[in-house]
Amino acid sequence: MKVVEIAKKDIKVELRTKNSIYFMLLFALISSAMFSVSIPVEAYDVVASPLLWIVLLFVGMLGYSRAFLRELEAGTLDGLRISPINPISVLFGKTLYNLFLMLLVEAMIVPIFFVLFQPKIENTPLFLLSLTAGNVAFVIVSSSLSVLILKSKTRELLMPILLFPVVFPVISSTLAALNMAKMGTVDDILSPLALILSFSVAMVGVAFLTFEHAFFD
Amino acid sequence: MDIVLRNVVKRFGRFVALHGISFEVRKKEKVALLGPNGAGKTTTVRIISGITKPTSGEVKVAGKDPFKEYEVKKMFGVVSHHTFLYEELTAYENLEFYAKLYEADESRIPELLKEFGLYERRHELVRNFSRGMKQRLAIARALIHSPKILILDEATTGLDVFGKKELFTILENFDGTILLTTHDLEEAEKTCERALIMSSGRIVFDGSSEDIESVYKEVLS
Repeated sequence: MKVVEIAKKDIKVELRTKNSIYFMLLFALISSAMFSVSIPVEAYDVVASPLLWIVLLFVGMLGYSRAFLRELEAGTLDGLRISPINPISVLFGKTLYNLFLMLLVEAMIVPIFFVLFQPKIENTPLFLLSLTAGNVAFVIVSSSLSVLILKSKTRELLMPILLFPVVFPVISSTLAALNMAKMGTVDDILSPLALILSFSVAMVGVAFLTFEHAFFD
Repeated sequence: MDIVLRNVVKRFGRFVALHGISFEVRKKEKVALLGPNGAGKTTTVRIISGITKPTSGEVKVAGKDPFKEYEVKKMFGVVSHHTFLYEELTAYENLEFYAKLYEADESRIPELLKEFGLYERRHELVRNFSRGMKQRLAIARALIHSPKILILDEATTGLDVFGKKELFTILENFDGTILLTTHDLEEAEKTCERALIMSSGRIVFDGSSEDIESVYKEVLS
C-alpha cells in the first residue's frame, strides 16, 4: 500500500537523521523541567495533567509540520507529485508517520512527567487513552493544516496562529477527559472522547475536499 | 497523440508565465522545447508532468488529465535538474521507494544501477554522491517503471561528459515519446526531429529541428 510506503520511507529517514525526534524530545524535557521548578510542589497534582497536555501540544506543533516541510525543502515533494498516487494517500502517509512520532514522544515523555510531578491518577488506563485520543486528533489536524499552508511564504509563523483556534475543541475536550480520568469520575467521559473522534473525522473530511488543491503547485 | 496542450495559461499572481500555449506531441515523436531563461519551458514541463496546475486550458497526456487521472503518470518518466531523490536514503532505497509508488518491477533495480554505473555504491546514502551521480540516479529513477514517454527538463545539468553521453545513448535508443527542454541547440538537433521555441510564455516556432539555428538566434536577440 502506497500510504504505508510513504510512512515507512519517512520513518526510515527520521530514524537515520533523528532531527525531529531529538528536537521534540529535547523541547519536551526542557519545558517539563522548567515547569517543575517554576510551579510550587503543592500545586503539582492540580496542574500536572494540563501541563502534560500543553507540553505534548507544543512539541507536536514543532514536529508534525516538518513532515511536509522537509519534502518541500528537499525538492522531493515534486517527486511525489509526479508519482501515480492519489494526493490524499500522501496526506495519510504523512499522518501515519506523524502518529509514529507522536507515540514515540508520548512513550518517552509521559513516564518522565509522572516521575517529575507524581500526579494522583484514579483511572490511569482512561487517562492514557484520553491523552492518546487527543494527540491522535491533534496529529490529524496539524498534518492536514501543514499542507494547506505550504504555499505561504510565512508558513512556519502561520502554523501556530491557524492551528490553535482550529484545534481548540480537541484541546478543551481532551482536558475535560483527562480531568475526569484523574478524578475517577468517568461516567461522562464518553462525551469528550466522542467530540474528539467526531472532530477528527470532520477534519479528515475537510482534508479530502481541500488537499488536492493544496497539494499541487 | 501522447501530449496535448490547448490554450494553456499559467499565472503566478499578476505575472503571466504562459499566454495560452497550444501544441501536440505525437506518439514516439522526439520534440525539443527551446527558449531563453524565463521563456516558460519549465512551467510548461511542470504542467505536463502533473506538478503545477494550469490556471486555465486543457492538458492531456496519453489522452488523460494528469491532475485527475493519476494512473496516467505511470506512462511517463520525468528527469529534471531537481533530482527528486531522498538524500538520507541509499541509491537502492530511493529506486525501491519509487518502484513501489509506480508499482514497477523491483527486480529491474540492480540492472538499472549497473547501467548507470552506480551498482557498486548502491548501499551508500545519496547525500554522499556527487552532482553527476545524483543526476544519473535520477535518470534511473525516471526509467524504473519503463515509461512510454520521457519528459526531460534541463536533464544534463551536472552531468559530466560520460553522463551526457550515457543519457544521449538512452535517448537515441528510447522507443517512445520524448519532450526535452534545453538551452543547447546541438543537444536539440542531435536528439529531436522537431523543435518548439518559446519566448515570453508563447510558442514562437514549431518546426523541424534542423531549421532552428537562425530562428533561435533571432529569439535570443
